[in-house]
Amino acid sequence: MATLLRVPEVAAGATEVVLSEWLVDEGGDLAQGDPVVVVETEKAIVEVEAETAGIVLRRLADAGTSIEVGSPIALVGLAAETGDVDAILQELGVVPGGGSPAPERREVGATDAAVRTTEAASDPESGAPVAEAPTAVLEVADPSVEAPSPHDAEASTGDRIFASPISRRLLATAGISLDSVVGTGPNGRITRKDAELAMNGRAQESAQGEAETASSTPDVADSAPSASSRRTPAASAGFEEVEHSRLRRAVANRLTSSKQTVPHFYVKRSVRIDELLRVRAQLNEVSATRISVNDLVVRAVAVAHREVPEANVVWTDDAMRQFDAVDVGVAISSERGLVTPVLRSVEATTPSGVARRIKELVEQANSGKLQQRDLEGGSISVTNLGMHGVEEFSAIINPPQSAILAVGAGIPQAVVIDGEVVAATVMTLVLSVDHRAIDGALAARWMAVLVSVLEQPMRMLA
Amino acid sequence: MTEKKHLTPAAPWVELTTTSADWDEVEASDLRRMFVQTLWIRVFEEYVLQLAGDGLVHGPAHSSIGQEGGAVGSILDLTTHDYVNGSHRGHHQFLAKALGHVMGSGDDLALTAEVRTVLRRTLAEICGLSEGFCRGRGGSMHLQWQEAGAMGTNAIVGGGVPQALGFAFNQQKAGTDAVTVSYFGDGAINIGSVLESFNLAAAMNLPVCFFVENNMYAVSTPLSTSTAEPRLSARGQAFGIPSWRVDGMNPLAVRLAMGEALDHMRSGQGPTIVEAEVYRFFHQNGPFPGSAFGYRTKEEEGSWKARDPLDLLRQQVLRREVMTQDELDRALQEITEAMRAIGGEFLEPVVGGKPGQRQIRADKWPDPGFVDIGIRGDLSELADSRYEELDSFDGELGDRRFIDVISDVMARRMEVDESIVVLGEDVDGLKGGTNGATKAPLEKFPERVLGMPISENAFAGMGGGMALDGRVRPVVEFMYADFMWVAADQIFNQIAKARHMFGGDSAVPLVLRSKLAAGTGYGSQHSMDPAGVLATAPGLRIAAPSNPFDYVGLMNTALACDDPVVVLEHVDLYTTTGTGPIDDLDYMIPVGKAALRSEGDDVTVISYLSMVGHCLEALEQVPEVSADLIDLRWLDRASVDWDLITASVQKTNRVLIVEQGAVGTSYGGWLADEIQRRLFDWLDAPITRVTGATASPSISKVLERAAIARTEEVVAALRRLPTY
Repeated sequence: MATLLRVPEVAAGATEVVLSEWLVDEGGDLAQGDPVVVVETEKAIVEVEAETAGIVLRRLADAGTSIEVGSPIALVGLAAETGDVDAILQELGVVPGGGSPAPERREVGATDAAVRTTEAASDPESGAPVAEAPTAVLEVADPSVEAPSPHDAEASTGDRIFASPISRRLLATAGISLDSVVGTGPNGRITRKDAELAMNGRAQESAQGEAETASSTPDVADSAPSASSRRTPAASAGFEEVEHSRLRRAVANRLTSSKQTVPHFYVKRSVRIDELLRVRAQLNEVSATRISVNDLVVRAVAVAHREVPEANVVWTDDAMRQFDAVDVGVAISSERGLVTPVLRSVEATTPSGVARRIKELVEQANSGKLQQRDLEGGSISVTNLGMHGVEEFSAIINPPQSAILAVGAGIPQAVVIDGEVVAATVMTLVLSVDHRAIDGALAARWMAVLVSVLEQPMRMLA
Repeated sequence: MTEKKHLTPAAPWVELTTTSADWDEVEASDLRRMFVQTLWIRVFEEYVLQLAGDGLVHGPAHSSIGQEGGAVGSILDLTTHDYVNGSHRGHHQFLAKALGHVMGSGDDLALTAEVRTVLRRTLAEICGLSEGFCRGRGGSMHLQWQEAGAMGTNAIVGGGVPQALGFAFNQQKAGTDAVTVSYFGDGAINIGSVLESFNLAAAMNLPVCFFVENNMYAVSTPLSTSTAEPRLSARGQAFGIPSWRVDGMNPLAVRLAMGEALDHMRSGQGPTIVEAEVYRFFHQNGPFPGSAFGYRTKEEEGSWKARDPLDLLRQQVLRREVMTQDELDRALQEITEAMRAIGGEFLEPVVGGKPGQRQIRADKWPDPGFVDIGIRGDLSELADSRYEELDSFDGELGDRRFIDVISDVMARRMEVDESIVVLGEDVDGLKGGTNGATKAPLEKFPERVLGMPISENAFAGMGGGMALDGRVRPVVEFMYADFMWVAADQIFNQIAKARHMFGGDSAVPLVLRSKLAAGTGYGSQHSMDPAGVLATAPGLRIAAPSNPFDYVGLMNTALACDDPVVVLEHVDLYTTTGTGPIDDLDYMIPVGKAALRSEGDDVTVISYLSMVGHCLEALEQVPEVSADLIDLRWLDRASVDWDLITASVQKTNRVLIVEQGAVGTSYGGWLADEIQRRLFDWLDAPITRVTGATASPSISKVLERAAIARTEEVVAALRRLPTY
């Protein structure tokens, strides 16, 4: 019996995904759990897996198109059903057209999508009613399985945000969501001034953000093949406009929102890491996976959170949320862009476990296979530019987390200990803190514990 | 012991009847002509009622069946150069005038192609079809064919009568002996516009005949309950107008009475009244007799039907042997077949309908896209005009008093264009009117500056008639803008709608100068800003000059434009001095072009007239706000400068609309509405407005000040901007 493969709700509240890549041709065999298609949201790139074994009888959407959550994207069935595809689709209530997302709402490859649609329409192999559809998106006729409308989505996300028409227009053009902008007008309305601030802020913050996060290569996402670039007439004046990838936009929005809505303060400590380096060398002698200083910092963060659990919190509008486990985000500059996946229960993980897990996450990020769930949770992230020689920097908190630890390079320098000048390897740590959740004294106490753990690394192995 | 002297009215009042000798003496050709025209009108109207009974006439069909004799008799001796206008019941007069026009003075009484065309286009108009005289817009109650001297029937009782004065004025001014006959019924005899018109026509000695068709019922209201003097021609006694009373069922008697009236008018002795006693055989409208509605008896109807003018003419034609019974029968058969043939072209059977059921053929209706065409002219008359702005003007400039510029430019235009005539209350007195606006015109062209009695409806309507005819370009002055309510029918129902209602082509080149006087202590009935109300009439253009230079250019444009243009003036500006031309008074300012009076980024302030100056003052007092100040100059919907407003709002994203008057009649509401629709995505805040208070301004100085907006209110609004 043929079944429809539908667009999963990749993230709460997401109503639409972009179908970025088909992994199986029409007629291709599938085992249960095989990845069928890659879809992309603002937050994640997800492989949709086959729910049952079978063959792909019909693809119901083209790569590059936007599709509403819940819409069918493929018909999966048995080889014997190949001849009856149209009848099966009809039986399943799939009708072409109607309510497909308007092309101008798409942020990615709208023009390309339209072109592909035309191609599909003239595809002699398909013979499907796709030809009549204004776009390649098909919709389910049964109202009971209709995708949530944007209105519903809005209602479920809370109160309406007041924004003047011109600010809505400006922010939409800039790709900034309203909920990332603070309104200073009457009734908290977002005005043109607020929008312009947000746009300026985003430009600055994202430039800064790239520098602050461990970016070993130029922002790869921007040069990835999936990102389209175009030469505009203006470009002949000496620049090229590279269209934003979804990930780039997501990073930009998130950081803008964070810097504008989260009251940051910063706590800086220097830490001598000669002992840490020594222990690391010993550990690497026995560890299957090479352990980096950063892996040990991540592990130390978990110890600090264990000792100062008041800091393992995040701010919500109604209450402070205090976590039991210590989940720590790690900023990764992947080939597709900046991502911050979260390691679970670091307090219960050995340094080599941390190293292995981070390595896996880097690989997943590079291949675009991080799941949404990999990106959520935790109260703190660690970001490290030390390998680039950066001595010290401060980072922007990744909401809803309440802190981010910026790790600089370990540099040999002269330090005074007990009145004596001695040589030591010193690393600078800057903790960015959400003041709503954590006060200065608490942050200082937490930092003291962290420094103590890093300077006496056996504590993280105990 | 008092002594009494018996007074006699200044004008004669007579009742005229015919004798058999008159019937013997009437020319055979005239008798035939009266009979044939009456027959054609009768059969035409019977056909209209047949269509009405079949539901094929949309709206009322006011038949004149029974009353045709009066129309035919009174129009028989009119030429094409003589004009008629009429009321809602006007088929018979319109047809008589149009037939007279196409039949010429010859003796040919055949149903020629021209006659058939008149019948065909009249029927088309009554049915609302595109080939009607007014392209189907006018219908039964707005029949106009200017070429034939049929200047338009009118659905406002008495509404057409003041315009007849304007036609007559033009005929007289052109040096002809042509006259205008204005037809109306007993129901109109007591309405103000008619009585005002009696008085004004007599005062001005105009060649106009007020022809009262007294059919004894205003819809169902009998004349005896409407007036204590049911002999309606008696009204003439009160105004010094010679009056005739005549049996309207007798076409010859009407013709003879009209002949005397025509002699009187053509010889320059002024207006006349002819009262014709007639009877409509049917109800107000539709194919049923009045008795069916209970307000009159079958017996009364029977007695009047016994006096059917068509029967009378038939008897006399046979008695005089000017036509044979065969010829009469053939004439009836011909017209009956002609009407059936015309109807056959407009109608088709309803497919699947009841037997005999018909409908209008789809291709006969006007195109729905025609709905808004011709509300105003296309301004082609302004092509090749010399337009100037202050920065392009190369004539001599200097400080000019506003009021002097008003006077000078009007005199200059009157010098260049002899058709311009100024009319209003006291415009010919006080050395140039109450404010001096007509000083120079009065000095140079006193015969074209006409002081009017206090009858705004009559003299505004007279201006409308002058403009509709077109040989005179009237400049009507309302001493206070509030008086537009007094003349509302003429301004809004007649002048503003005439072009569109009569098909879209007839120009109405009229300028109305209207004075705003808030702040002068004249109180609740003399202090309104009329712009908001005027802007509801799409046929009007509205200019609002804020300085002497613009006044010259805008008034020149208004006087060159073929649409009715209201030029607003504010008393506050009269005594001010500003930059204006010293001697070059011939430039114009384009319709639809606003002016930017200051530039800034924070808000677009939109204003007009005297409030422009108040806005400039306010902006000086609030230096923290930098504003674009747009002086609209043209206020009507069709002439608002959207290019300038759009560019400014896209820059500032905020709008403040400033005006002086009370909120209820204020102007800015529609503009705010339109701005939010056109420019929603460009707005950063709600559109804000400055207006006066809710109340009309009072006499008391402090209450008046509290009721209007001036600089202080604009200052406050500018300071409040951040809170919106």
